[in-house]
Amino acid sequence: MGKITGFMEYKRRVEAYDPVNERLKHYREFTQPLKTEELKRQGARCMDCGIPFCHSGCPLGNLIPDFNDAVYRGQWKKAAELLHATNNFPEFTGRLCPAPCEEACVLGINEDPVSIENIEKNIAEKAFEAGWIRPEPPANRTEKEVAIVGSGPAGLAAAQQLNRAGHRVTVYERDEKPGGLLRYGIPDFKLEKGVIDRRLEILSAEGIEFRCGVHVGIDLPAASLLEDFDALLLCGGATLRRALPIPGTELKGVVQAMDFLAQNNRKVSGTSFEGEAIGARDKQVIVIGGGDTGSDCIGTAFRQGATSVVNFEILSKPPVGRPEGQPWPFWPMRLRSSSSHKEGAERVFSISTKSFEGDDQGNLKSLITVEVEWTRDSNGGRTLKEIEGTEKEWPCDLALLALGFTGSEPSLANSLGLQMDSRSNIQASDKDYKTNIPGVFAAGDQRRGQSLIVWAISEGRQAAHHVDAFLMGQSGLPLKGEGDLPRI
Amino acid sequence: MGSDTPVAVLSHRPQLIYNYFKQLFAQVTNPPLDGIREELICDISLTLGSDHNIFEVDQRHCRKLKIQNPVISKEDLDKIKSFGENPDFRVVSLPIKYTASRGHNGLEEALEDLLRKASLAEQQGARILILSDRNLDAEQAPIPALLACSYVNSGLQRLKKRSQISIIVESAEPREVHHFALLFGFGASAINPYLVNEIIAEQIAGGNLPDCSFEEAIANYNKAIGKGILKVMNKIGISTLNSYRGSQLFECLGLNTGMVRKYFPNTPTRIEGIGLYEVEKEVAVRHRKAFQSQHIPGDLDLEPGGEYRWRRNGEKHMFDPMSVALLQKAVRNNEPSTYKEYSRSINEQSRQLMTLRGMFEFTNFDPIPLEEVEPWTEIVKRFKTGAMSYGSISREAHENLAIAMNRIGGKSNSGEGGEDPERYYQTQNGDWRNSAIKQVASGRFGVTSHYLTNAAEIQIKMAQGAKPGEGGQLPGPKVNPDIARTRNSTPYVGLISPPPHHDIYSIEDLSQLIYDLKSANRKARINVKLVSEVGVGTVAAGVAKAKADVILISGHDGGTGASPLTSLKHAGLPWELGIAEVQQTLVGNDLRNRVVVECDGQLKTGRDVAIACLLGAEEFGFATAPLVASGCVMMRVCHLNTCPVGIATQNPELRKKFEGKPEHVVNYMYFVAQELREIMAKLGFRKLEEMVGQVGKLDRSPAIDHYKAQGIDLSPILHQVLVPEGTQLGNTHAQDHKVGESIEFEIIEKAHPALFRKEKTNLDFRIRNTDRAVGAIISNEISKIYGAKGLPENTLKINFTGSAGQSFGAFATRGLSLVVNGNANDYLGKGLCGARLVLKVPEGATLRPEENIITGNVCLYGATSGEAYINGKAGERFCVRNSGARAVVEGIGDHGCEYMTGGVAVILGSTGRNFGAGMSGGIAYVLDSQGGFLKKCNNDSLNLLPVTEDPDVEELRELVENHYNATQSPRAQKILESWEAYLPKFVKVFPEEYRQALERLENEQLETS
Repeated sequence: MGKITGFMEYKRRVEAYDPVNERLKHYREFTQPLKTEELKRQGARCMDCGIPFCHSGCPLGNLIPDFNDAVYRGQWKKAAELLHATNNFPEFTGRLCPAPCEEACVLGINEDPVSIENIEKNIAEKAFEAGWIRPEPPANRTEKEVAIVGSGPAGLAAAQQLNRAGHRVTVYERDEKPGGLLRYGIPDFKLEKGVIDRRLEILSAEGIEFRCGVHVGIDLPAASLLEDFDALLLCGGATLRRALPIPGTELKGVVQAMDFLAQNNRKVSGTSFEGEAIGARDKQVIVIGGGDTGSDCIGTAFRQGATSVVNFEILSKPPVGRPEGQPWPFWPMRLRSSSSHKEGAERVFSISTKSFEGDDQGNLKSLITVEVEWTRDSNGGRTLKEIEGTEKEWPCDLALLALGFTGSEPSLANSLGLQMDSRSNIQASDKDYKTNIPGVFAAGDQRRGQSLIVWAISEGRQAAHHVDAFLMGQSGLPLKGEGDLPRI
Repeated sequence: MGSDTPVAVLSHRPQLIYNYFKQLFAQVTNPPLDGIREELICDISLTLGSDHNIFEVDQRHCRKLKIQNPVISKEDLDKIKSFGENPDFRVVSLPIKYTASRGHNGLEEALEDLLRKASLAEQQGARILILSDRNLDAEQAPIPALLACSYVNSGLQRLKKRSQISIIVESAEPREVHHFALLFGFGASAINPYLVNEIIAEQIAGGNLPDCSFEEAIANYNKAIGKGILKVMNKIGISTLNSYRGSQLFECLGLNTGMVRKYFPNTPTRIEGIGLYEVEKEVAVRHRKAFQSQHIPGDLDLEPGGEYRWRRNGEKHMFDPMSVALLQKAVRNNEPSTYKEYSRSINEQSRQLMTLRGMFEFTNFDPIPLEEVEPWTEIVKRFKTGAMSYGSISREAHENLAIAMNRIGGKSNSGEGGEDPERYYQTQNGDWRNSAIKQVASGRFGVTSHYLTNAAEIQIKMAQGAKPGEGGQLPGPKVNPDIARTRNSTPYVGLISPPPHHDIYSIEDLSQLIYDLKSANRKARINVKLVSEVGVGTVAAGVAKAKADVILISGHDGGTGASPLTSLKHAGLPWELGIAEVQQTLVGNDLRNRVVVECDGQLKTGRDVAIACLLGAEEFGFATAPLVASGCVMMRVCHLNTCPVGIATQNPELRKKFEGKPEHVVNYMYFVAQELREIMAKLGFRKLEEMVGQVGKLDRSPAIDHYKAQGIDLSPILHQVLVPEGTQLGNTHAQDHKVGESIEFEIIEKAHPALFRKEKTNLDFRIRNTDRAVGAIISNEISKIYGAKGLPENTLKINFTGSAGQSFGAFATRGLSLVVNGNANDYLGKGLCGARLVLKVPEGATLRPEENIITGNVCLYGATSGEAYINGKAGERFCVRNSGARAVVEGIGDHGCEYMTGGVAVILGSTGRNFGAGMSGGIAYVLDSQGGFLKKCNNDSLNLLPVTEDPDVEELRELVENHYNATQSPRAQKILESWEAYLPKFVKVFPEEYRQALERLENEQLETS
């Protein structure tokens, strides 16, 4: 399979970006597609390993060597079929996934790994272009009805799978449109919203019903879902934002990243938003939190016209390569630089914010920080120590808090009497996704805590199998099978 | 890197019935054969129609339809049907299907009904029976074609009707070579794999096979399967499908006796297993999937597989992402806790039933403190790494294993490919790259006196776990100058290891080779490598009597990633069965005490070693696991030269990527030994030798919950042989090889001035045909002192008078000149490496030498350098696998110069058939006085040229002159006297591959200069 010597002949290539000054003028995606011939060469780099660690490292269990081979041979339709067999939404993961598959790629041991994610995106795009992605409603219906709360990637994947099994699926979404974080969290320059709409049209045409603007637990008692549906799957995400318990958070200009991003996404899509407008134009912006959300804030702030953007990360700067003790094929904690980071942000590591300082009008004017160092204690755990004499004041007009999420909002769980785990997620095992209430299932971030889109889709698919088995006694819906690489 | 998936009876996935059968293969008792190079004796054609009494000669024998390749297309089948009007070829087609809803009763009744109908058809005059599983539907499921074929085959035999009728199978099932081999083996005379034909049609319609038409594609497929079947037959030494048909040369693994007796009578099955009930269940699963289950949009129509390459939803593999990742992390960071995770993942995989050993548990605990168990440093001395040649793996990887094993006092194995003499000596930092075990395989590459002298153990590879009964091939491009040097061959000339050792066609021959090798190095243990299959116990008993010091039993699952897939999966049996059978046979015959038994084949953990030991092994080989420890990621591209971690490759760029260190391998061995020590402590063994063969410490685990495994009966493996008290269960003393009685010691005493002062010495001795391998011991002594370069030419000249025994001049090295006035037996000059051999008719003899045979078969097998002048005719396979010796002989038998890769052979008389088969190098000059040579020559890849120019003419004349001077041959004299008249009658045999290689070398030299 594949081209036997492909990896020795071709170098890794992925889509290049438009120049920074060009791309900052708009919110659209800015990648420059590779030519078809180049994509085939990239597919040819796959070595069709006896043990494809990528396939193990991918939380969806994508059949990576198989679709790489199809791409190499120019069999795009076959590639699309292989890809969709394990992934409902490759156009999302192909843009947004941090690609644990590529970290596990055997070629990555001593060369640049196969550009799996880019290949994935292109397969999906070619499939849409060619019209191969068409609604495929199930041949038979089961008379069973399933409600899914939340329309993020987990909810959508579960909805499509359960609908395929023949059940009537209704998806509840409290926002005005489906998509969850895909729509309101991720900026358009990483995922244009038309990409979501294109997929939603397929899902609707397959018979999935979307009820948006319905906040289950507020607009609609959760218990009524239990009465009206045969099963209930909760995919509401991990939406509790981590607080920053320091003085000055009440100041004007200290903003939660999600509020900032959601508002901007609504602006870009031309929809109205509630509350005061938050803008970064002509401001000195500091983004606290070095994760993906923080990175999205950077790119958005630049596009809004910020004069400067600084990004704080409390952890120390990781190495560019694999750190010691995190060998291939495991996921390494190494320095990752997004396109937004490369748009001019200053990144500061090992830094902790002590307080926000304001003027007399209650406007943010600066941040006080201190440098920190991490030490290992005898148990192998890491402890944080502030370094004396490193206090510093940073002038700042807008501070964006991108500190991550701490778990699921408790209201729905409380009203249904669901058990939560110690990390404020709804308690359910990944063996069957069942909560303590029969007929109620949970998946995605609401079950596992904040995670990746690829995990959300994976959980949605897996949960769908177990919901189907609960309803029918057995299920023909696919499972991904064993083999996930653990985090070390 | 052999097969690491569960055997069929332990798999959770529905298996085709074919997978419960293992191909038998020849080892020791008869040779496997090479159907490619010896095509002239092979044939896969079959005939359809009635058979008649072969003792009556009449025309009815001729009323047959002959099929050249019995793997046929639908068109062929239609042709056969069109003969149906002819009473000799009346065709009846019987459906092979049953009512799925009636379950196994339905299947059983359908089989009875099928046999009844077949019998009736015969009675009504049918002569050709087509068993067809076409036209299935949601109600009708197929009877497994093999089951149907075998039952009709054996049933009609019972009814004494079998010879009246031929069976054709028309089935969707067969697709792999193994399937076809089984169907023929159980009586089919032709097979139409119609589903494969339809798949090919679909692929062509879909544009996936742009380069050929449908007819061509079908013909190619049928031809490929035909070649594959030939190979399967060749493994057991059968050359015609006519004799293979109905031969049932298979062993069942995991079918119960009731089922085998009824449907596959007289096929061996040893550990019971499933019956018709479970077979039907597996059919039903597939049938439901095909006809009943609802298609889920988005799902693939076909599963992605996973049999050969791991997939999440495919077949389980013992080496999966987790186990490889954990093992590498453990050995690189020296983390015992991570090794424990690894071994748990493997041992639990075994308990998830992937191997027979997974079904065992330890019992009769008698714990002692861990400190009382012998230290790990003692235990690892019993550990070895597998036979992997430099050539199959990179120099870096090969030396890494050697250094590691030498550090801990274990043994690494050279594999078949010689070894660079530089490696025999320790480097200044104390590292020693010498492989303690030197392998002698059928190719005899680089097997010289010096090579053998530097071995602690010499291993004769009779078979290889991943591909028993098969040879090997190192393609020309892989034979770079380094490899060529260690193998004593020409760069860029492909190297073939024949399926058989051409000096071992029987147990007596093996005994001879053991004696030869023991003579070549008296300090080395001689190890004979066998592969597990039914009857290996008997073979092992013979090998013990043939005086092997060590017998290695390899499991089916060991071996190379470069093996043909058919062999990887379907030949050989698990070592659990092999070790148990060998132990029981050897103990039962009180032979166990004189041999060491070694086990290998996917040994991965201390638990594996403990079980092998309790079943009867005392030494243990590891191959895949230490390679994984060195960085192997199970790419399974060992044959493609593209290993991305620098192990199975000779590509200089890829070799740079090798990151293994000896410490990694040492750590692995240490971890395994520690795990073993913990088990020993629990069981109460202080020393490993106490543990050997103590099967009472093993029991079947009660916790096995697997519908197919329920029927397995492990008691044959756990059987303790009843023997008189005092009978040893393990090795207690060494073999008496009787090498000490050789006349060579007498010679050595007198040859002192030559041996120690390099003085020219002439000695005269009488020789008898019981004096075997004469020359090997002296050569060993020379090699010890002078290394590969030996003594100056002709330093020690010994004149023998009489009849030399077998292997005269074996492994005879430089500086020796051995002359026999008389004659010699087989294997003259075997492994000749520098000596000069002269064999001449005794003075005063009146016979004409050129008309009389003076020496036997397989002369100069694996010779690497030296000269031989033979004043008479030699037998078959003269100069087989010669890679450097120059020889003159006055006539030879069949298969001359087979697999030759270098050197020169001059034949001053007639040759037999199949001359030069597989000859890829060297030159032969044949005096073709009668003009019939062309017909006898296997000239596919040979250039046959006149001898017209120097240096050819010069070389030929020199050799003929040498021959005359050495032997006073009348024939040589005549030729020299009329040189101009004879010269045009010589044919120069010049292999095309050799010509290209020489050209390439010349160009390379020009470039560098």
